[in-house]
Amino acid sequence: MLRKTILQPTNMPIVETQRLRREFQAKKKVITALEDIDLQVEESVVFGLLGPNGAGKTTLIRILSTLLLPTSGKATVAGFDVAKEPEKIRPLINMASGAERAGYDFITARGNLWFFSQLYGVDSSVANRSIETLSAALRLENYLDSKLYTLSTGYRQRLTIARSLINDPRVVFLDEPTIGLDVMTAKSIREFLVSQAKDQKRTIFIATHNMAETEAICDRVAIIDSGRIVACDSPASLKKNFGAPATVMEVSPPLQSLQAISSVRGVKGATSAIDADRGVARLKLIVDDEGAVKAVGAIVESSGSKVLQSWMQEPSLEEVFISLIGRGFAERESEDAN
Amino acid sequence: MYARAWVRVKSVYDEPLWLLVNIGFPLFTSTGMALLYRSAGLASFSGFAILGGIMMAFWGNVLWGMASQFYWDKQVGIFDIYLVSPASITAILVGMSIGGIFSTAPSAVITAILGWLLFTPPIAPSWLAVILVFTITLISLYAVGMLLSSLYLAYGREGEAVNEALSEPVTMLSGLYFPTLGSTSPFPLALQAVISLIPLTIGMDALRRTVFYSEDLGSIASSLAVLTAMTLVLIFSASRALKILEERGRKEGTLSVRLR
Amino acid sequence: MKTLRAIVASAWVGWEREIGWTNPVAGILVRTAPITAAVLTAAMVYWFGSSRVGVFSPERLAFVIVGSSLYAHVGAYAWLPTSAIAEGKWSNVFTHVYITSTSSIPYLFGRGVAAFLSSVPMAVFSLVAAYFFAQGLLGSAPAMTASPASILMLLGALIVDFPAAMGLGFILASHAIIVGKFEWALPTYIAGVLMIFSEALFPASVLPWPLSLIAEALPFTYFIRASRAALIYGSWDLYVSAMVYALPSSLVLLFLGLMVFKWGEKKGRQKGLIDRKVG
Ligand SMILES: Nc1ncnc2c1ncn2[C@@H]1O[C@H](COP(=O)(O)OP(=O)(O)OP(=O)(O)O)[C@@H](O)[C@H]1O
Ligand SMILES: [Mg+2]
Repeated sequence: MLRKTILQPTNMPIVETQRLRREFQAKKKVITALEDIDLQVEESVVFGLLGPNGAGKTTLIRILSTLLLPTSGKATVAGFDVAKEPEKIRPLINMASGAERAGYDFITARGNLWFFSQLYGVDSSVANRSIETLSAALRLENYLDSKLYTLSTGYRQRLTIARSLINDPRVVFLDEPTIGLDVMTAKSIREFLVSQAKDQKRTIFIATHNMAETEAICDRVAIIDSGRIVACDSPASLKKNFGAPATVMEVSPPLQSLQAISSVRGVKGATSAIDADRGVARLKLIVDDEGAVKAVGAIVESSGSKVLQSWMQEPSLEEVFISLIGRGFAERESEDAN
Repeated sequence: MYARAWVRVKSVYDEPLWLLVNIGFPLFTSTGMALLYRSAGLASFSGFAILGGIMMAFWGNVLWGMASQFYWDKQVGIFDIYLVSPASITAILVGMSIGGIFSTAPSAVITAILGWLLFTPPIAPSWLAVILVFTITLISLYAVGMLLSSLYLAYGREGEAVNEALSEPVTMLSGLYFPTLGSTSPFPLALQAVISLIPLTIGMDALRRTVFYSEDLGSIASSLAVLTAMTLVLIFSASRALKILEERGRKEGTLSVRLR
Repeated sequence: MKTLRAIVASAWVGWEREIGWTNPVAGILVRTAPITAAVLTAAMVYWFGSSRVGVFSPERLAFVIVGSSLYAHVGAYAWLPTSAIAEGKWSNVFTHVYITSTSSIPYLFGRGVAAFLSSVPMAVFSLVAAYFFAQGLLGSAPAMTASPASILMLLGALIVDFPAAMGLGFILASHAIIVGKFEWALPTYIAGVLMIFSEALFPASVLPWPLSLIAEALPFTYFIRASRAALIYGSWDLYVSAMVYALPSSLVLLFLGLMVFKWGEKKGRQKGLIDRKVG
C-alpha cells in the first residue's frame, strides 16, 4: 500500500551512499569503521555485503537503518537522507539481526509480531493476515502461540525474519540472518528471502561473512574489508574478473605456520584448513605463476611434511576474496582469536 | 575467596562513579527521615535516622549486591566457572561478603559524616560496645546474605521478586529508623518476639542503646550473645544449604543451566 | 491514529509485563508489601518523634501516610522509560522499536500508561492498608476520609500528575540512552530529591529558605497537596488552588521531558548508543 503513495523515479537506486564515512571514538584513538563507501543498490535485488569480522558491515546497516549517524558523506534510502529525514525512511524499511534475539520473552511469537506491526501503524486485520502468511511461509505456524523464550534458536530466527517483514518494507536490512542455523534451515530461509525479492519486489540487503550464502542467493555483491568496498558486482562477474583458479594441496602433517608460504614470490594468498580426523591440512593457494606452486611444495617438504596430492579448483567467491585482499577468512578469524 | 573479595573491592574503587551511585540511596533516605524527625518536633532524634541510613547501606548491599549476585552470575554463565573451580562456594561467598563490606564502607562513612554535619544529633556512645555491636551486626547481616544467596540459587528468578518484596518490610520491622523493640515500640509484644528473629532487629536495638544512651557492654551482653548465636546458626545453615545445592547441581546439572 | 495504535500496543505489552505473574496473589503482595512497609516506616518515625514530645496529631499522621504512598506511586512508574530502555539493551527490543515509523516516544508513553494503570490500585491498596495498620498499631486513626467526592478528587490529581511523572521519566530515559552503565544512578538521586522536596514526608517549610523554593516549584508537590486536600482536609478550595498550579506545571515538565529525550536520542544516534549492547 505504501508503495503506491511514494513516487519513485524509475532506475533510481533504492539505497545509495556517497563517500560515506563513520568513525568511532575509542579510548584515545579514532577507529574508522567505514571509509569512502560508494554504493548503489537497485530495487528488488538480493544484495550481499560480504566481509570478514570487523569489516564494517554492521556499521553500514546501522547507518542505513537510521540507528547511527554517519560521520561524513551521504546515504539515502528511497531518496531520503538518513541523517536528515529518518522519519520518512523508517516506514519503508526494516532490519533484523541473526545474532540477537529481538522480542519480549514473556509474550507469544504472535503477540510480538502484532506489537511491532502496531508500531508501524498497520491496521490490526491487515497485520493479522500478514502474520498468517509470513508464518506459513516460514513454517512458524505451530509456534505462533508459544512464548518467545520457549522457541529454539532456529524458530526465533524465523520469527525475527517475519518481524522484519511485518510492515511490508521496501528494503530489509539483514545482518547475518542465517548465523547459527543448521544447513537445512539456513537453506529454506535463503529460498524464502529470494522469493521475497522476486515475488514481492523487495530489496533484501544482507550482510554476511558466509561466502556460500552470498554466492547462492545474491544478485550483486559488495566485498568490504577494513571499512572499504574493494569490489562490487554480480558474483559471476566478480569470479570472471578477479577469481584465479586455486591450487589445493593436501599436506600431512599440517604445517605450523603459513608465514613462509605467504612470503613466497608469486603467492597472492594462502589459506589452510585442517582436517583433524585425517591429520591433513588443505592449503589453498592463489598464485600468479606456476613456479610458485613448486616453491611452496619445496617449503612443505623441507619443513618435514608431505604433499599428499594437489589439484586445481574452479574459482569461487573465496578465491575472489583472496585475490582481492591477499588472505582468506579462516586466517583472519584465527588472528582474531589471539 | 580472596580473589572474589578483591574483584569486588577493586571494581568499586576503580570506578569512583560507583561510589556516587551507592551513596545516593542511604544518604537521601536518612536525610528524609532526619527531616521527618525534625518536623515531628524531635530534631535530636535525627541521629536515629542517620544510623539507620548507615545500616541501610549495608543491608542494601546484602540484598542487591550479594543475595541476588549468584542469580545474575548464573544468568551470564559465570556460575559454571565457580562450580568447576576448586574453591568451595562457601569460600566464594565469604569472599563476596568481605568485598561487600569494604566496598560499602565508603558510602556508610560518607552518610555518617554528612548526616553529622547536617544535623549534629547529640550522641553519647560507649565506643567499645558500639564497635563490638556494629561488627557482630555486620557479620550477621552478611550471614543472612549467604543464606539468601543459596535460596536464590534454588529459586532463580523469583529470588529477585523476593528481594524486592523483602527489603522494605524488613527495613520497617527491624527498626532501621525507629525503635521496634522495648517499651517505646509501636508493636505488640508478640510481634516484637517474631521480629527479634531477624538479627538486624537486635543489632539495631543494641546499636541505638550504645550510641545514644551510652549503655555499656554489660547491659547489652544478652543482645550480643543472641546475635552471635544467630550468626553461627545462619552461617551453618547457609553452608549446609549450599552444599546440598552444589551436590544437586553437579549431579543433575540444574544449577549450571541458564534460565534463558 | 498511527500513534494511538502504537501507544495501545505498547500499553498492552507493558500490561503483560506488569501482571505477568504466575501467581497473581504473590504478584500483588510483592508489589504492595514494599510500598505499604515504606509508608508505615515513615508513619512510625513521625509517631515516635511526635509522641515523645507530645505533639502527635492524627492529621499529621495522615499527612505522612498520604504523602509517602503517593510518592511511592510516582516512583512506581516514573522510572518506567528508564527500565524499558535498560531492559531493551539486552533484549534488543528498543533498537527495533526505535527504527519503526512511530519510533520510541509512543512506545515509552504506552508502557508508562500501563505502569500507571497498574500502580493506581496498588497505591490505593497501600493507602488503605497503611491506614488500618497505623490505626491498629498506634491506637489512633489517621485523620483521613474517603467519600465518593474525595476519591474522584484524588483520581483527578493522579491523572494530572501523570504528564509530570512521564516528563521526569523521559528526562531519565534520555540519560539511560546516553550512559552505558549506572542507568539507575540518576533515578536513585532523583527519587531521593523527590522524597525530600515534594512534601512527601513533611511540609516544605521544614526546609531552609532557598531549598524550600525547589519544593514550591515542583509539580509533584502540588499533586501531593491536592491529594491531601481531597483525603485529609476535604477542602475544595485548597484542592483547586493546588491543581491550578499542578496542571500547567505538569504539562510543562512533560514538554521539557520530551525535548530532553529527543536531544538524548540524537546524541545517542551520533555516538551509536541506541543499539549498544551490554553485558
Ligand atoms: N561503538 C563502537 N565503538 C568503537 N568501535 C566500534 C563501535 N562499533 C563498531 N566499532 C568498530 O568498527 C569496526 C567495524 O565493526 P562492525 O561491527 O561494523 O563490523 P562487522 O563487519 O559487522 O563485523 P562482524 O562480522 O564481526 O559482525 C570494528 O573495528 C569495530 O571494532
Ligand atoms: Mg556485524
